Amino acid sequence: MLIAEDVVKSFAAKDQAAPVLRGVSLSVSPGEFVCIVGRSGSGKSTLLNILSSLLTPDAGSVRYKGRDLAAMGEGERNKLRATDFSMVFQMHHLLPYLTARENVLAPFLSGLRPVSAARRRQALACLDRVGLADKADRLPGALSGGERQRVAIARALVTEPGIVFADEPTGSLDGDTGGQIMDILSRLNADGLTVLMVTHEPAYAAMASRVIEIRDGRIAAAH
Amino acid sequence: MNILTIPLRNLRRKLLRTLLMIAVFSIGVASVTALLELSKAVGESLEEKLAAYGANILVTPRTETLSVSYGGMALGDVSVDIRSLTEDQTIAAINGIHHKDRLSAVAPKFALLTKVGETPVGVVGVDFDQEMRIKSYWHAQSGDLRLGEGEILAGSEAATRLGLSPGGQVVVEGKPFTVSGVLGPTGSGDDAMLFSDLHALQRAAGRENRVHFVEVAALCSGCPIEEITEQLAAALPGTDVKAMGQVVKSRMMTVEFVERLAVAVSGVILLTACVMIGLSVFSSVNERKNEIGLLRALGYSKASIFTLMSLEGVTLGLAAAVVGQAAGFAASSRLMALLDLGAAAPTFAPAQFAAVFAAVALLSVLASLPPALAAARIEPSQALVML
Repeated sequence: MLIAEDVVKSFAAKDQAAPVLRGVSLSVSPGEFVCIVGRSGSGKSTLLNILSSLLTPDAGSVRYKGRDLAAMGEGERNKLRATDFSMVFQMHHLLPYLTARENVLAPFLSGLRPVSAARRRQALACLDRVGLADKADRLPGALSGGERQRVAIARALVTEPGIVFADEPTGSLDGDTGGQIMDILSRLNADGLTVLMVTHEPAYAAMASRVIEIRDGRIAAAH
Repeated sequence: MNILTIPLRNLRRKLLRTLLMIAVFSIGVASVTALLELSKAVGESLEEKLAAYGANILVTPRTETLSVSYGGMALGDVSVDIRSLTEDQTIAAINGIHHKDRLSAVAPKFALLTKVGETPVGVVGVDFDQEMRIKSYWHAQSGDLRLGEGEILAGSEAATRLGLSPGGQVVVEGKPFTVSGVLGPTGSGDDAMLFSDLHALQRAAGRENRVHFVEVAALCSGCPIEEITEQLAAALPGTDVKAMGQVVKSRMMTVEFVERLAVAVSGVILLTACVMIGLSVFSSVNERKNEIGLLRALGYSKASIFTLMSLEGVTLGLAAAVVGQAAGFAASSRLMALLDLGAAAPTFAPAQFAAVFAAVALLSVLASLPPALAAARIEPSQALVML
């Protein structure tokens, strides 16, 4: 489904290229729950961003369903992110002036055509899947941190993506709330959703079907 | 819900800032509207007042001169082919030109030289109503300022020279006329002349329906005097139509100055308002970089981001266009009353409203362009750093 081959990435720092990824290869199959773990600065978030098409690798390739992301035009990559790829960030990044349901519908607000009633029902169903159907009309300011992150997960589900990329989705939450988020992701994965998650919490990584450890820009272990 | 939802909700969320921005831009639009309405009214008022101080176009029969010399001695120029004009045809032709609505007065004249007793004097037959439109400065030094059938108005010098006073009798071309009044000094050639009713003088001279020249006062605001002159010349073959250059020039300069001043001040105000809109959108882009990055990560194209940010500026601009124009009309109405511009009143023209609306929308887009482009250039990877 998603295959990365020999991915290399550097960032410029003080007129020098600082290598972050030094040739990473991995693959994700449909329905898998893959966790990328590693210490801060190991390159795990950079890898996730490259895999989700938000960053372009300096060398190597990333293929999704056989197509090289680097060979796609910007429009195709936008479309990919709007349909097949979904993101959940460490911070919920909800739009503060939209209700929970409207935030879930945000991926559909990029055009002049009004959002259909079917999409609205779909958004409510996604909120229901994360246990927030009764708070659909609340603004983010009226929700707790955990609830906001659950709305962000519902937003990631509404496009019925092929794969959800989650970058430390429990990073800003306390232990109990983080556990609830992980339970939701596990349940969604059990329903068939492919999840690729970055975390540095060993307990959460243990809930994944496969764990890839990144160290110094390389895969140090996979099990 | 669609792409409009995001900018509209964001503007509603920052209601105070939105209202302040609309107020600032509205003041700009209102000032421009009021200035344009005022300049139009002041221009027309000035034109009417200026037109009352004389004609600016002279229609005379075409004459040709012949230089005569004999034996090497110049004997001077001799006018040949002197014609008078036919009154009814000339007046009809003048009132039939395309810009006829821009003519404030058409004053025909029939002039003759006669003797009162033994003293030679010029008598001019005029259409009194039309004459008063271009000579509102006439006033009666004694008697009445009127010119009925069989009456004469005497210029101040002529009255002194001929010993005329109101109620006195004058015989012109064998017909008796009563002096209705004596004009106060004007400092012009009028002081030495007698004035009678045009048709009465024509009949006395046995030359009905003839005039020697016609003075025309044209309102020049918004219409080039050259065009009126050309139209008159085309309508009156065999005549010379001359715009009185200096008079026209000074009137046009006065009116144009008012208009140019209004345009310049409007430009400065609008430019300031545009900068304000641009700064507002710039500030919005800076505050919302995370949001823009998120939307890009959700698959929004650069065009969508550009549209989102532009729509904020355009919404502010359009709201200001409506509020500003309404306020501008109200302000101009009040100012016209304060400036004593007579019957002048702002006129609501749907086409003008639409034009201002479109212009403000365009200006808002232009003002929002740099920040909206900057927002559209934010790459998801840049946003990632912030996220």
